[in-house]
Amino acid sequence: MALNDSTAVADRIALRELSRQRLRTRLASFPWWLASIGLIIATTLYLIANAPSFSEAFSTIRAGISVTLTITLISYAISLVIGLVTGLGRVSKNIGSQNIATFYVELMRGIPMLVSIFFIALVLVPGAVDLLGGLGVKLSELGLTGIGEFLSSADNRAVSMSLRAVIALSITYGAYSAEIFRAGIQSVPVGQMEAARSQGLSYGQAMRHIILPQAVRNVLPAIGNDFIAMLKDSSLVSVLAVRDVTQIARLYAGHSFRFPEAYTTLSVMYLSMTLMLSLVVKLIEKRISTNGQ
Amino acid sequence: MDNNQPPMIEVKNLHKWFGDLHAVDDVNLSVQQGKVVVIIGPSGSGKSTLLRCMNFLETPTSGEVWFMGERMTTDQKDLNRHRAEIGMVFQSFNLYAHLTVMENITLAQRVVKKTEKKEAEAIALEQLRKVGIADKADKLPSQISGGQQQRAAIARALAMKPKLMLFDEPTSALDPEMIKEVLDVMMLLAKEGITMVIVTHEMGFARAAADEVIFMDFGRIVEKSTPENLFNNPQSERTKLFLSQILQK
Repeated sequence: MALNDSTAVADRIALRELSRQRLRTRLASFPWWLASIGLIIATTLYLIANAPSFSEAFSTIRAGISVTLTITLISYAISLVIGLVTGLGRVSKNIGSQNIATFYVELMRGIPMLVSIFFIALVLVPGAVDLLGGLGVKLSELGLTGIGEFLSSADNRAVSMSLRAVIALSITYGAYSAEIFRAGIQSVPVGQMEAARSQGLSYGQAMRHIILPQAVRNVLPAIGNDFIAMLKDSSLVSVLAVRDVTQIARLYAGHSFRFPEAYTTLSVMYLSMTLMLSLVVKLIEKRISTNGQ
Repeated sequence: MDNNQPPMIEVKNLHKWFGDLHAVDDVNLSVQQGKVVVIIGPSGSGKSTLLRCMNFLETPTSGEVWFMGERMTTDQKDLNRHRAEIGMVFQSFNLYAHLTVMENITLAQRVVKKTEKKEAEAIALEQLRKVGIADKADKLPSQISGGQQQRAAIARALAMKPKLMLFDEPTSALDPEMIKEVLDVMMLLAKEGITMVIVTHEMGFARAAADEVIFMDFGRIVEKSTPENLFNNPQSERTKLFLSQILQK
């Protein structure tokens, strides 16, 4: 009986130790960082709902969300196309396209994004428009009045700052996604290309049917993260006076002097959007790793 | 057979340099239709490079390659046309990793030959039956064994109805128990009369399947003969040494 008691006590102690260990691992694996961010968002939401100064800031800044999202989506789509073409140029055996692609990538990566946005929006775009206008005048003189008049009607005032922002972001980000695509293409073993070419596929056919599908799959998470980065960097276009969330928050803070309200609300807006997007990226990543390979 | 028919593939004075390395040194070689030629030799002797020059996966530095009476050039259009008729099997299989076995076999038929999907799949299935893995058609390459992958790769090459098959050490990356299933398939093809050039270390297979065995060393052809002659009565000292080393194993 006494023996039984002591084993029962020992069992109980062992059990308690076990559950303590379980608790410890559970505490260690709990995403505290996510809970903290959630708390920040929840607190801000509470303030927006209950504090008049916060709700005013929110309802003002909210107007910029559609501009931010539109600029991000369009620029991102264009930058992917630029990136794919440039990435293909980077791995091309053609020395001309290889050099042009590398020139563009290194140029963009060597200039701060803020500066390249200024440069593209205020120097490159007006320059290109003037050039087209000049070309239009020349073509009109040569008798090609149709296209000539169309081109010479190009006017810098007609190119809105939002459009310039999209062009600037696309060109800047194209260089970054080019590097992602290049890495993706180079991650596919050489044997895949050799096998395809040995069957009589052309280089382009092999790229399209064999290399790119595998390359894109390999870099899908990186492409997703690029979208998140683009969403954040789209705030830079506020320097062009484009009325995205950042610009509206700056204006609001400037004339209301409610800096904490404006910038807390703004930060939490970006945070909620990027958090949701990064969860989506994680989901994609998980699906890739379980789906095949 | 008609004696005026040009050889299936003919290599004339072929040289290949990789930087300072003379990988293939003045090789002449001719393979008649229906023949099986096995190339043996120590690693680094240039046998794989020679094979890869035959479908211009490596561009020869100098010399000529003639395929069915036509000189091969780097003209991409001609090259793709020739390559569609030259099947190649690689050491590391190189199945398209993102496609199922069936898609692996139908892709080139559809893209290069513009075959209808249904017909391409029928051809694929026929070839898969021949290599004995018709039940793996819907698997991804990563889901089947090495031996099965190599057989799928052979089926992929055969589905293009090639005039010539090149094998680049097809069993070197396989576990020992899987080598036989691949060699059995190759033996079947040899008996069917498919013209084949094979780089291998499988001497038993060479003896049984080859019409001609070529021994290469330092980028040159040292000796070529029938398998009986070359294995039983090698002429060159280098051949003797190589055979004694490899047969001792």
